[in-house]
Amino acid sequence: MRDIVIFSGSSNPALTQRICKNLSLPQGKVLIQKFANGETSVQLETSVREKDIFILQSGAGNVNDHLIELLLMISACKMASAKRINVIMPLFFYSRQLDMPVVKNGDFIKKSSNLNKNININNNNEESSKPWIAQNGTLIANLLTSAGADHIITMDLHDSQYQGFFDIPVDNLYSKQLVQYYISNFIPNFKDSVIISPDAGGAKRAAAIADSMSLSFALVHKERRTKVNNLDLSMLVGDVENKPCVIVDDLVDTAGTLIKCAKLLQKNGATEIYAIVTHGLFSGDAMEKIQNSGLFTKVITSNTLDQSNRLQNKQFNVKSDILDVSRIFAEAIRRINNGESVSIIYNSEI
Amino acid sequence: MSTERGLSDRSMTNKEAKNNIKILAANSHPELANLICKKLNLPLSNIEAIKFENNESAIVVQDSVRDEDVYIIQTGCGGYDNLNDYLMELLLMIHACTQASARSITAVIPNFPYARQDRKDKSRVPISAKLIANLLTTAGCNHVITMDLHASQIQGFFSIPVDNLYAEPNVLKWIKDNYKNTDEVMMVSPDAGGAKRVASLADKLDTQFALIHKERAKANEVSRMVLVGDVKDKSCILVDDMADTCGTLCKASDILLAEGAKEVIAIVTHGIFSGNAIERLNKSSLKKIICTNSMPLGEHVSQCPILEILDISPTLAEAIRRLHNGESISYLFNYVAV
Repeated sequence: MRDIVIFSGSSNPALTQRICKNLSLPQGKVLIQKFANGETSVQLETSVREKDIFILQSGAGNVNDHLIELLLMISACKMASAKRINVIMPLFFYSRQLDMPVVKNGDFIKKSSNLNKNININNNNEESSKPWIAQNGTLIANLLTSAGADHIITMDLHDSQYQGFFDIPVDNLYSKQLVQYYISNFIPNFKDSVIISPDAGGAKRAAAIADSMSLSFALVHKERRTKVNNLDLSMLVGDVENKPCVIVDDLVDTAGTLIKCAKLLQKNGATEIYAIVTHGLFSGDAMEKIQNSGLFTKVITSNTLDQSNRLQNKQFNVKSDILDVSRIFAEAIRRINNGESVSIIYNSEI
Repeated sequence: MSTERGLSDRSMTNKEAKNNIKILAANSHPELANLICKKLNLPLSNIEAIKFENNESAIVVQDSVRDEDVYIIQTGCGGYDNLNDYLMELLLMIHACTQASARSITAVIPNFPYARQDRKDKSRVPISAKLIANLLTTAGCNHVITMDLHASQIQGFFSIPVDNLYAEPNVLKWIKDNYKNTDEVMMVSPDAGGAKRVASLADKLDTQFALIHKERAKANEVSRMVLVGDVKDKSCILVDDMADTCGTLCKASDILLAEGAKEVIAIVTHGIFSGNAIERLNKSSLKKIICTNSMPLGEHVSQCPILEILDISPTLAEAIRRLHNGESISYLFNYVAV
């Protein structure tokens, strides 16, 4: 490993430690502080001159704090004459570009004291234009590039179009191999199981896993007809009766979709329900909802985000497993540093 | 406008009419935005920043800003929990306006965030103010209006025009209104960095000025302070661009009183008041502290009886009006806007 320094942002230091251990490298020292007025300050303690820098920061928790912190770290490396700055974002910042229906239902909107606005959406008024939500993708890409990032490494990008927003290379790694490994080794009778996609958007990802493992596949279709608001119009496409089901998704946030999907599966006669999601955000009261639903045999997520306050919170009685992605990232770092192909990781068995 | 002739009439008037001012406000300081709107006699546009459960922000656009001049009011505030959130909101809102085909986008940032991290004072630290300047430009901002920048050199970090307004005319007016005899007044700078600002005020008031020299050990921590100048039997006015933890101001006040000053008041542009600043002010020997409403002060006013507020919204409103009409801004450097 030549001239390599790995820094960790404050979002997921545990993952950085694991990656460094896998690579037998010391972790770069950085002093991250926040002043009383809320401004973040960063000081690198390890020299970065003419080095190949990797900075790890995940887009969860206090997202905006972590993003500004990341931008400051990139800028600090740039100013200190780093050769190349690679940014590892296991979960991409602002990865989901949420759409208007979400605002209408108010599902995902935070109700905090300083944001107690009523969003009045009036479609009837002809004078005002149709309300819409601004899409953030290009902005986030441009901010990272303008701060000085040379290379982005991420995992299971929600929108694969995101790569096109950048003018710098973006390596999107997949957790597919890990998920397949888990299914075949830790799910009893996995040969009878059905892989489920909880929405149409994730169908491709779930189908790919089902195909390569020769398992059957089903998908839940959510209807978003705005006129009928309070009716649950989800429907299941495929047969799950008397079979164990494995829900596969890239991201779970408030867990609404996941629980709806599990309810539907139970109604259709599924024997056991597993949920495997790469990025377990579990925002708001997601964990409570999952625990109270009692639908899941097991919930599995990866350590792309710090799970100690999420899935592994002792307060909640949910059976869970954590997939370790550090080896994938470590191998990617090694290959990028050596100038080898990264795509080989996508196909190799772990 | 008559509605009889329909579309053709409309397109004609549009050609003749100039594009309009659209005032947008993110969540940091709605009161200031409302004051500016009132002054300009314009409604606040219905473009809002919301926050999702996963702490990501988003902008809901309900009004059209196509081909208009957009002014986004967002100050650098929010304290420990929200400062970076408000910064992101501003960037997202600028970006949303570019997507909505605004003709020009001006960020009105009375208190510029990260202004104190304006140089590489240690090895391997970022010049954060420069980064923020780059981020604003990257997001699509065409013009910045700010007030009493911590270091006016920050204007050079931008590749777009920056109008740095001054609270000085308002401060002068306040002093003239409150002290009929300016001979008894002594302007004091609490640190060497602010000497220029205070000297300019002293010149305009035709008074003397003193300065306090301080040796700083760590950020936000005050160490030894030495007074340069004679303040005996004078009403001392401490002037600074911002009051954060207020440690400097309180200590400076003690020193001035010990040197025989009659009374000490402090005038600052940006009242950040983080940590236990308000508690400290209440216990201090300061007779009064005056700050502008460039930051939301909320409960501070009721918690701190010695706090008095100068309204700078007319200055900002006038700057917006002048900028939109292509008039000179420098008038505002010497006169109080009404």
